[in-house]
Amino acid sequence: MRRSVSLYGLTFSLPMLLWQLFFFVAPLVFLIALSFWTVRNFKMEADFNTINWVTMYGRSVFWQSYGLTLALATAAAAITSVLAFPCSYAIAFKLSPRMRQWAIFLMVIPFFTSYLVRVYSWQIFLSDNGIINGLFASIGMGPFPLLNTVFATMIGYLTLSFPLVVLLQLFSLIFIDRTLIEAAHNLRCGRIRTVFAVVIPSARVGLVIAALFCFILSFGDFVSPVYLGGGDPTTLSILITDTTKSGQQWPRAAVIALTMIGTLLAVAFAAVGFAYKGRTK
Amino acid sequence: MQGNALVTFDGVIKRFGGFVAVQKLDLEIHKGEFLAIMGSSGCGKTTTLRMLAGLEAPSEGEIRLGGKPINDLPTWKRDTPMVWQSLALFPFLNVIENVEFALKMRGVGATERRKRAGNWLERMQISEFAERNISQLSGGQRQRVALARSLVVEPEILLLDEPLSALDAHLKVRMQSVLQNLQRELGITFVYVTHSQSEAFAMADRVVIMSKGVVEQVGSAQEIYRAPRTRFVAEFLGSSNIFAGQIAADGTLSTSTGQYRLPRDMSGTRPKSTATLVVLDTRSYLSSVEPGPEFDWVRAKVVGEEFTGAMAKIYLETADGSELRVQSGYEELAKLPMNTGQDLFVYWLPEDGHVLPIA
Repeated sequence: MRRSVSLYGLTFSLPMLLWQLFFFVAPLVFLIALSFWTVRNFKMEADFNTINWVTMYGRSVFWQSYGLTLALATAAAAITSVLAFPCSYAIAFKLSPRMRQWAIFLMVIPFFTSYLVRVYSWQIFLSDNGIINGLFASIGMGPFPLLNTVFATMIGYLTLSFPLVVLLQLFSLIFIDRTLIEAAHNLRCGRIRTVFAVVIPSARVGLVIAALFCFILSFGDFVSPVYLGGGDPTTLSILITDTTKSGQQWPRAAVIALTMIGTLLAVAFAAVGFAYKGRTK
Repeated sequence: MQGNALVTFDGVIKRFGGFVAVQKLDLEIHKGEFLAIMGSSGCGKTTTLRMLAGLEAPSEGEIRLGGKPINDLPTWKRDTPMVWQSLALFPFLNVIENVEFALKMRGVGATERRKRAGNWLERMQISEFAERNISQLSGGQRQRVALARSLVVEPEILLLDEPLSALDAHLKVRMQSVLQNLQRELGITFVYVTHSQSEAFAMADRVVIMSKGVVEQVGSAQEIYRAPRTRFVAEFLGSSNIFAGQIAADGTLSTSTGQYRLPRDMSGTRPKSTATLVVLDTRSYLSSVEPGPEFDWVRAKVVGEEFTGAMAKIYLETADGSELRVQSGYEELAKLPMNTGQDLFVYWLPEDGHVLPIA
């Protein structure tokens, strides 16, 4: 009897378990193993050698790239969150329910088009003889270097994560108890102050998770730093491709990948911990 | 009474689209009184309270607080703290931070506000929970936090929107006395919105009964109970037998169930005019034999009983389908055949009747 129940449960959880096993655990284990292999005469050999870790961690290029990627992703999370908040706040509190549905629908539309296509279309806007510089030229200014800058990379990160961040923020703002806002007003808290004293603390979990998603997406992104940032300075994702191209150094690329996974896990744990800090339920 | 008014509603009307929530409200709330606004849901009582708090703007008319018009004052510039039905405590702040909130908004320094908040926690007997989260408190403790949070700024008036409705009966009675004592000690005005007659009558100095956006009656619990002004009030209280009819030439009331004498002080009623007679259920009696000539009576069938402690309430139905009720002790009831459908006489002294001023 008991056996049949657990079998029943297993039937439904099995596909998920297998998926995780084949496509997450197995590649991760392989990646870890790979990072200890060695390369001789452009050929990889199974080995147990810490040389890849020592080499990569000993290079200042790696740490510069690591610092840059971390800074860019953090900046992207902060900028996107700040820019998205007024948008999601207005949708949550100022629009009628009907208009809110339309706004949510509009936020979903960007996902219809491939991110790569959207980034390419930014090139048309940002290049030296693109649309924006064309407008500047018509009033006798420019051209300003827009493409292949950190600014352009940041636009790419925003393109990638802005709609998602708005949606995630929105769903935490919608569920705020409106009487809390009225209570704050009633206790002499003005409109703007209420946003900081009540709305943001109430929606903290959603706001932190939204920023976390933006960080994760930007930290691992390859498209924007290459096609909008011009590949220079080098982010970790670019460094991985460079490393694999130069002399089949897959084991060293594995070291970079594992460092990125470790960083993302640490940031995710810290963010979730911060989001739920002080909550006892 | 002019100098005594803290709040004045002067011809206040509130519309939501085509719906009129409050119709032409004229009401004075006195300094230091415990006023209850009572009515069923949708009667406009909460809207009235929210207009006073500044959470809704009146469509017409003027609200004055301490003589000054406050129509255009946003809620954060009024001193009209409110206690919500849901309490609306901030879940992301602990107990003492919740109480400190209003002081912080007024720019009171950290040590000063902690001290003042601490005093209120002590007064509400919840000092030991100062550092707890709201989610760790019981319903009664949360009530006390909500009260402390509103009272910490020492306002002249406190608005309460059904704050006890979520509590169980036993706790409700305890919180009622907490509220009553607090109001007496502070000497400030409490405006208490409720749908519960027992809460309003137990605590309030004056009760306002509203229906469909109109004030039906204002008065003390005793006044309203003994002398309801309108048929709605008499029906809402649910403690009277109501007979509507026409005054006959001999000065009696002619109804579909019989001819009844009116109490002596009703000399003003003219023949042919309509009138409504109400008799309290505690002043109505039951008998299985026809009562003496000093009484008026009506025949009715027993339809149900309700036991409330020492007394029982018997529900009966007359031949024309109107409902009657009689409150009686168990000894008297034991002498009567009380089966459902039993035909009995409901009788009363004409002097115990009350004629509604508005029929």
